[in-house]
Amino acid sequence: MSQPGFEPPGSGDFVFTPIFGNSILATKPVLLLFFSVILISTFFIISSRKAAVVPSKLQFAGESIYGFVRDGIGKDVIGHEFQRFVPFLFTIFTFILTNNLFGIIPLMQFPTMSHIGFPVSITIFVYLVYHYVAIKKHGLGKYLKDMCFMPGIPKPMYVLLAPLEFLTYFAIRPLTLAMRLFGNMFAGHLLLMLFTLGGEYLLGSAWFLKIFSAISFSLAIGLSFFEMGIQCLQAYIFTLLVALYIAGALADEH
Amino acid sequence: MSSSEESAFWTILSYLIAGLILWCGIGLLVDHFLKTNFFVLIGMAIGLGSSLYLIWVRFIRIER
Amino acid sequence: MTGTLSIVGFGLSTIGPGTATGLIFAAYISGVARQPEARSILQPIAFLGFALAEALAIFGLVLAFVLK
Repeated sequence: MSQPGFEPPGSGDFVFTPIFGNSILATKPVLLLFFSVILISTFFIISSRKAAVVPSKLQFAGESIYGFVRDGIGKDVIGHEFQRFVPFLFTIFTFILTNNLFGIIPLMQFPTMSHIGFPVSITIFVYLVYHYVAIKKHGLGKYLKDMCFMPGIPKPMYVLLAPLEFLTYFAIRPLTLAMRLFGNMFAGHLLLMLFTLGGEYLLGSAWFLKIFSAISFSLAIGLSFFEMGIQCLQAYIFTLLVALYIAGALADEH
Repeated sequence: MSSSEESAFWTILSYLIAGLILWCGIGLLVDHFLKTNFFVLIGMAIGLGSSLYLIWVRFIRIER
Repeated sequence: MTGTLSIVGFGLSTIGPGTATGLIFAAYISGVARQPEARSILQPIAFLGFALAEALAIFGLVLAFVLK
């Protein structure tokens, strides 16, 4: 440090250099992403391999997560056609949940979704799926007509409202979907980093400030558990909104 | 809260953002080409009004 | 540290709408919990209040970017 004083963490702390080699694919977030895929598939393959009528503990854990997504999100929101979309919703839920929870697991301590590229690519996928479903069910013309021209308002108001509806469906909804996940993970990681680095800095200063260092570290630990709640909630909300969008695409009129 | 309220919640937020972004963008463009500086405020008012009207039509009037 | 002061202003201005949204939905939830059959009457009112409160927050967001 060239000048004395506390340097707060910023967005520069989210840029990683490659761990080995020179490729951009060898940075920490990408490796965590690959690790999460291996972890999820191993867990669910092992937990469903010896499926029995009387489930073991592992099988029970796997089945309760699956049942939560299928009944709690799929069946309640989408309705009678939900069975087609359960694998999609389940993949999104477990993927986001695992990647978020990496943020508080010691030694990893980086939520992959706090890099905007990952939520955006999931959102592009979701975007293609729900528009494809709607266009396949209603046809392109009827879908756009239903979207932009809702019945029951005077004709001149369509000039104001039709572009608004169009923009909402095609730009703002996917944008907010990606930004919500990214923003929560980014801000949460920054908050944890601030308290940890602050405690570390106070530990190296005058003796009476060391008490505040203990407060800062204990706040960091407490906020880690708070973050765990937020991470689970964000994975749930993302999946719920995907299900709501698919349900809206399947509905006869919204 | 049930999922219908959750859906309405985020849809209201999306409408507000969409209205303001659309009409403020148009206002900024008009300002840029005409070298004025008040069209962005008019755009803001139109955007807010139209998105609130859309929310009123969609979530408040119909359910009565 | 570098940054824009209008973003700090936007952060401060979200306190009001955030509190308002919390109060609106707290009242809505306790109303529905007391009288579940009043839900269809309460829901539009809650959304009206939410939309008006949230409009101010979005207004602040836009002003933070527009005013240089």
